[in-house]
Amino acid sequence: MDAALKLWTVVAIVGVLNYLSRLSFIAIFARRHVPALLGRAFRYVPAAMLTALVLPMVVAASPGDPALVSLPKIIAAIVAGVVGFFTHSTLKTLAAGMLMLWALQLASRAMG
Amino acid sequence: MRRVIANPDFRAGFVDMLPAALALMPFGLVCGVGAAAAGASLAGAIGLSAIVFSGAAQILSAQLLAAGAPVAVIVLTCFVAGLRFLIYSAAIAPYLRPLPPRWQKTLAFLLTDQVFAAGVRRFDAGGDARAAGAHFLGSGFALWLFWQFTNVAGYFAGNLIPPAWSLDFAVPLCFIALVAPHFRSSPTIIAALVAGVGVLALAALPMKLNLIVAGVAGILAGTLADFAKERWTPH
Repeated sequence: MDAALKLWTVVAIVGVLNYLSRLSFIAIFARRHVPALLGRAFRYVPAAMLTALVLPMVVAASPGDPALVSLPKIIAAIVAGVVGFFTHSTLKTLAAGMLMLWALQLASRAMG
Repeated sequence: MRRVIANPDFRAGFVDMLPAALALMPFGLVCGVGAAAAGASLAGAIGLSAIVFSGAAQILSAQLLAAGAPVAVIVLTCFVAGLRFLIYSAAIAPYLRPLPPRWQKTLAFLLTDQVFAAGVRRFDAGGDARAAGAHFLGSGFALWLFWQFTNVAGYFAGNLIPPAWSLDFAVPLCFIALVAPHFRSSPTIIAALVAGVGVLALAALPMKLNLIVAGVAGILAGTLADFAKERWTPH
């Protein structure tokens, strides 16, 4: 398939699916009751999916080589997690994580 | 349109979203860089950011397109990564019920992680549902607008940012900010642990299929732990 056509196919299908997911309970199932089991499973979607998204980005030092582990990134991610847990603020979490990472990178460079 | 922009609740929503929009700037830049690296045209990059309008789905699409994954795999991965929109939709639906269908359909498009959190806070603060709806529209529009700017900036100028700044790291940090406040119950922690161990253990799977398998396993583990906790908690 032509690369541009493939990209637009992905944009169209993912765009429609994303919109339908967002619209689902607001409009499509608005008058239907969420089954109890589904409602319970729903509670664990953010924790499971976001953790699965995040961990490979933190643990793999470079996207090309997942075997390389970056200790500064792991420490900075833990610090950010603690800040996020207590503050609920994206901006503060981001600032804490980036500053920690930069400090650790500077320190490791200074120590050679 | 002019009436909407003049609405004080719309303006308040727009202003309230500015700190979060600022925090998402590096994420938007990284998404723009990803689209450029995947060989997207400017129109294609804007298509991703304006229509898909989900950082996780955009990054996954760009990476999987660059890796030559089939459309079906890309679509499935993005859908699973976007399962949380179903929850946001279910959680915000009762608040939006008093609004006309046209409003509901517009606000649904803007329902992202940050806008959802701000929207629930505003609706819980009480008052007229229409005022809260206008606030939601303002915050959603602010985020959408900033997202387009940062994506385009990343598309053109992303490569000018020195790699030593580790800007990529802003992406997991944005997700950590979303997930960290959830870790307050044991089933939630179990769901995250299973998903986390799974995604690393299955890293050898091609085309990021480890994300789907580990994510679904984490959801199941959390649900089972929830049942077990209920079963063994004395009433």
